[in-house]
Amino acid sequence: MATPDPKPLAARYGSRVEALVAALARDDEAGFLAVLDDILKARKPALIGELRDLTCNLQSALERFRLDARLADFAEKEIPDARQRLAHVLKLTDEAAHRTLDLIERTGPPAERTAKSAEALAAPWKRFRERRIALREFHEMRKHMDAFLPAARADAELIRSNLNAMLLTQAYQDLTGQIIGSVIELVGEIEVALAALGHLSGGEPGTSERVPRSSRGERQAGPGATHGGIATDQRDVDALLSGLGM
Amino acid sequence: MSKHLKFLVVDDFSTMRRIIKNLLNELGYQNVVEADDGTTALPMLKAGDIDFLITDWNMPGMAGLDLLKAVRSDPRLAKLPVLMLTAEAKREQIVEAAQAGVSGYVIKPFTSETLKEKLDKILGAPAK
Repeated sequence: MATPDPKPLAARYGSRVEALVAALARDDEAGFLAVLDDILKARKPALIGELRDLTCNLQSALERFRLDARLADFAEKEIPDARQRLAHVLKLTDEAAHRTLDLIERTGPPAERTAKSAEALAAPWKRFRERRIALREFHEMRKHMDAFLPAARADAELIRSNLNAMLLTQAYQDLTGQIIGSVIELVGEIEVALAALGHLSGGEPGTSERVPRSSRGERQAGPGATHGGIATDQRDVDALLSGLGM
Repeated sequence: MSKHLKFLVVDDFSTMRRIIKNLLNELGYQNVVEADDGTTALPMLKAGDIDFLITDWNMPGMAGLDLLKAVRSDPRLAKLPVLMLTAEAKREQIVEAAQAGVSGYVIKPFTSETLKEKLDKILGAPAK
């Protein structure tokens, strides 16, 4: 609103109104209109001021409305959606990790089997090469070798196919990476909208970024997240503990 | 003989339990049981045949630090080796765990060498 003129009403309009009434009484149309114009001219700056205030208010109301609509959209649609997508990431990473672990656990035994069989063949083979193997042991070694060669080949193929499956399992990173990227983008948009809301509510622009993240700091940092006061690797931990006498 | 030690691995993520169990097997420790938080771990510990506890910190139900405190306050478990294996890496947390009587502290992500080194150190001699 335009600030009201501090002078009393009579001082501002008294003489003009008297002239207006006098012109009316005289039936002096030209005089009447001249005084009326004069009065309107005097009111013009105040009217323009009020109009300007009104436009400003309307503009910020519109902005606020747009922002409110955007925030409502975040709250009703995009955040629940992002939560669901993150839950999906959790599921995908869990499945991929278990699948990889399954394959690792299935790959150990054939590798061990091959190593053990080769080891068992080494001693008789050495004796054979040194031409001091007994005939019975030679026949045993030959039987063992007959079994070992196709078994080693089958085991190696199994290992190779498991490794290939492990390779394919890593495709989860592409999918989860895209989802996490889109959620990071959403968080950025929310940050901007909240900062704008703070600005509209009278806060300094940009102050939202500087708000101390005390509530976040209370939470667990999580793996790989580095903030101040956090030991970033095992050497830091060891140094800290040895400083404590451990 | 130390290879016959019975380990209890406590972590709320089953993948992490499997990883730790596989690493322990690789290091020659075949006797490994699991629990998904302190609340399920404590009765297993009180049952009496666990030789070594490896626990995460941040778990629903009973957290690792509370489990460590419960272990240290039980006279029969007070001397049990406890290795904290966790992503919690704040200085205050490490100090808190040390004050609560943790035997070793490894932060995730970790390597099998680090795990072996800490186990050997806690058990007093190289296991291999």
